[in-house]
Amino acid sequence: MATGEVRLEVPAAPEFLRISRIMAAGVASRVGFSLDEVEDLRIAIDEVCFSMVGPRGRAGTITLTYLLEAGQLTVDGAGHFSDGLGNEPVVSAISNQILAAVVDECELSASEEGPHFRLVKRHRPA
Amino acid sequence: MAFDSSEREALRQRFREFAESRDRGIRDELITAHMGLAEYLARRFTNRGEPLDDLVQVAALGLLKAVDRFDPSRGLEFSTYATPTIVGELKRHFRDKGWAVRVPRRVQELHLRLGSVVSILSQELGRSPTIGEIAQSAGVSEEEVLEAIEAGHAYRFTSLDAPSGSDDESSLSAEIGADDPALLGSEHRVTLSPLIAQFPPRERTILHLRFFEGLTQSEIAARLGISQMHVSRLLARALAQLRTQTEDES
Repeated sequence: MATGEVRLEVPAAPEFLRISRIMAAGVASRVGFSLDEVEDLRIAIDEVCFSMVGPRGRAGTITLTYLLEAGQLTVDGAGHFSDGLGNEPVVSAISNQILAAVVDECELSASEEGPHFRLVKRHRPA
Repeated sequence: MAFDSSEREALRQRFREFAESRDRGIRDELITAHMGLAEYLARRFTNRGEPLDDLVQVAALGLLKAVDRFDPSRGLEFSTYATPTIVGELKRHFRDKGWAVRVPRRVQELHLRLGSVVSILSQELGRSPTIGEIAQSAGVSEEEVLEAIEAGHAYRFTSLDAPSGSDDESSLSAEIGADDPALLGSEHRVTLSPLIAQFPPRERTILHLRFFEGLTQSEIAARLGISQMHVSRLLARALAQLRTQTEDES
């Protein structure tokens, strides 16, 4: 089982979410996740990243750090925006419900540097 | 799709009856009778990266609109009237969708093939397979599998042209996809957000089972008798649509 850290920085625009999803699926398969778990993680990344960039995108980037551990994947995301539009992640009630269903942990926060999230997905052997 | 002259006359009569009564039973009958036309037209768009069953649903929506708007007193054949409406619906589907990335044909084909590979593997293993197991079984690399799975998620910028769940469209989608009657109890309705309640029955059921009941995609697939890849695709599309609706409301 692979362990390690993978980092990705993408422009904060919806069309780059695909790359984040593929990366998530790629690293999830490295830690032995099942297809169900890969799908869940992909949905989570998409949901949380979209809440950061919105439908029209923002000026700046999102950095995603995928931490691979035995049977677990943690994704740290940080937005670095230069448009002065605020740093609070806006997550709808339905997005919260979706995130709660697909990952084991989800934390969203904001600081002066920008919005931040941390997702944890654990592998459950059948 | 071709009707003989007596069938055509019978259908004309049904259209006249429908024009007067707006009877839902007659409407469903007319839609069913012309589904062949919708499928035929949907097939003409299959080289653009969309699974046929999704296209048939879009075409069926166009057919439904055509049945509703057709005026038999004007003497036009229904198929002549309906074809541009259905083709228009299909074209709008592609135009509005604006795929972020054009999905190459080999990836589309693998995506469709993986549907059965995943189903068979899940049954054999008694659990959801890993990407490595899927790749081995399909005889392709893990990267190709990941790419093919992603192909089912290229729904980011979809418009609301998928059925939005008015009564009419629900009745049609109920024909296309089976629903789980056990889920239609009051408890089910209470937990649904109004946004989810707008979806046609099958999408609504999938959203409910995944996000409110906590079933996995493979469990949902087994329960509804469809492939996991199809569940994945329907979920991705429903989520994209939800997102658009949430934005519209905010």
